[in-house]
Amino acid sequence: MAVSKIVQLPTANRARETHEPPSIAVARRHHATELVVRNVSKSFNIDRRPLPVLQDISLVAQPGQFITIVGASGCGKSTLLRLIAGLDRDFEGEILFGGRPVSGPSLDRGLVFQDHRLFPWLTIEQNIASAFSSRPIDTATKRLLVKDHIALVGLNGFEKAYPHQVSGGMAQRAAIARALVNEPDILLLDEPLGAVDALTRLYLQEELQRIWLQKGVTMIMVTHDIEEAVFLGDQVIVLQPRPGRISKVIDVGLTQPRDREDSRILKLKKEILGEFHNPAPINYSI
Amino acid sequence: MQLSPAFGWLLKRLPSLLSPFILIGVWELVAQTHLFAANILIPPQQVFRTFLDLLADGELIDNIKASGARVLSGFAIGAGAGLIAGMAMGLYPALERYFGLLFTVIRQVPFIAWAPLLIVAFGIGETFKIIIIANAAFFPVALSTLDGVRNVPRHLKDVAALFRFDRLALMRSLVLPAALPSILTGVRLALSRSWMIVVAAELFAASSGIGHMMDWGRQMFQIDVVMVGVVVTGVVGFILDQMLRQVEAHFSSWKLPSR
Ligand SMILES: Nc1ncnc2c1ncn2[C@@H]1O[C@H](COP(=O)(O)OP(=O)(O)OP(=O)(O)O)[C@@H](O)[C@H]1O
Ligand SMILES: [Mg+2]
Repeated sequence: MAVSKIVQLPTANRARETHEPPSIAVARRHHATELVVRNVSKSFNIDRRPLPVLQDISLVAQPGQFITIVGASGCGKSTLLRLIAGLDRDFEGEILFGGRPVSGPSLDRGLVFQDHRLFPWLTIEQNIASAFSSRPIDTATKRLLVKDHIALVGLNGFEKAYPHQVSGGMAQRAAIARALVNEPDILLLDEPLGAVDALTRLYLQEELQRIWLQKGVTMIMVTHDIEEAVFLGDQVIVLQPRPGRISKVIDVGLTQPRDREDSRILKLKKEILGEFHNPAPINYSI
Repeated sequence: MQLSPAFGWLLKRLPSLLSPFILIGVWELVAQTHLFAANILIPPQQVFRTFLDLLADGELIDNIKASGARVLSGFAIGAGAGLIAGMAMGLYPALERYFGLLFTVIRQVPFIAWAPLLIVAFGIGETFKIIIIANAAFFPVALSTLDGVRNVPRHLKDVAALFRFDRLALMRSLVLPAALPSILTGVRLALSRSWMIVVAAELFAASSGIGHMMDWGRQMFQIDVVMVGVVVTGVVGFILDQMLRQVEAHFSSWKLPSR
């Protein structure tokens, strides 16, 4: 695969590129990319009254782990990802990445928004390259990275297309490529497959899994879809709304890739459905 | 087969093309009744003949050129300054807090109302005309630029923050393209205003230009020359507007996601 040949980038501030003995470098890298969210609460002011959106959220994402977050609409999933990404610093509690408090966005933490948020005036290729804006890297390296990531998400042939000329699913894939092109240590995905049809969705789930296995990047993915959460996640975090809080943490404990029809997967799915107040579909359809 | 797109174009614009002809028809009919003296209400054919005469001896073209040159320099100065002012206020809200009020008050003064003051200050030479045009071009561009910069979609600003865009990338990849459609609308408005104001200013004081030609026609009681001036002013303004509409449509062709 073209992707395995991806060039190492000349960035100095990354633990994995310091000249330490391999074992220490690995250990450091592991430490350096652990995400800790500790007792995080967040409220928005609506009509000058505080509306609590997140309450006492704690979680740990180990390097290379795939965490999925499920929860009803409006329970604060996007808000949580924005906090981790550093786009919103107004919260209580602690968010540490590699042991250091998150104080703003960083290229080490990538985010794929719920809507693709590509720049409508840039081509797919230019959109992906726009992620390099704050890094002094040479054009040749840039071009190579963009090309590799376009291949990674299967958008070959659409390099010169504008976002409005491609389908929603393709735009979302371009957004994933844009988030990955800086090789972040952790990738936050906000319902990246929310806008695609069921068939494409199954396909893209496997693509995401492939990318995750290939890149060894930590992933935190928000989804509405319980099956998706169980199929992809090492750990599934269930949120309850108003205010958003963690009601259950499930360690899936199965190796990846998995079989969708695995009885253990189905059992976990049922267990999570039971967490929601209206488990009607599963109770009545059997 | 080859004609059909052109034909379609014509068909779509037929109603708007029809109205000038109806106007000319009514004009002709009223002239026929001799209700007004023939040297006051000039019949259309005579205006057309005068137009051809003025065209043939080069006078009309020279005057259009003279007016055009003034518009060009005044517009360039005014629109350029407007672009800078609008950008600055959009990017640094503090500036708008300081100058916003002044800006709004000055904007309320009709641009021709500056003429007497400017004539006192600069005389009736070229400087006066260029300043009054620049002033007319400044506000539409400044306002639309400010508006465009202020309304850069927030969800795209998030993207810029996420990837830590530096100033240059922020301007080039986000602010300018997001504000461009709005800026172009302002530029179009500014250009048609500049054209109007140059003709008006030349009526006051000039030795060349369309406005001067009209003023001279009035003094010589050659109303047909005045009429030619009116029609030419309208047609040139229309052409400028249409040209910029094309540019505007071209640059708005990407679909900005709403929100
Ligand atoms: N900028 C904001 N200002 C005020 N309230 C906000 C803001 N952003 C989000 N909220 C509120 O916070 C709550 C959680 O929003 P959030 O977008 O995080 O939900 P979500 O779990 O991602 O929902 P969905 O699954 O529909 O995407 C909602 O009630 C929303 O109204
Ligand atoms: Mg959301």
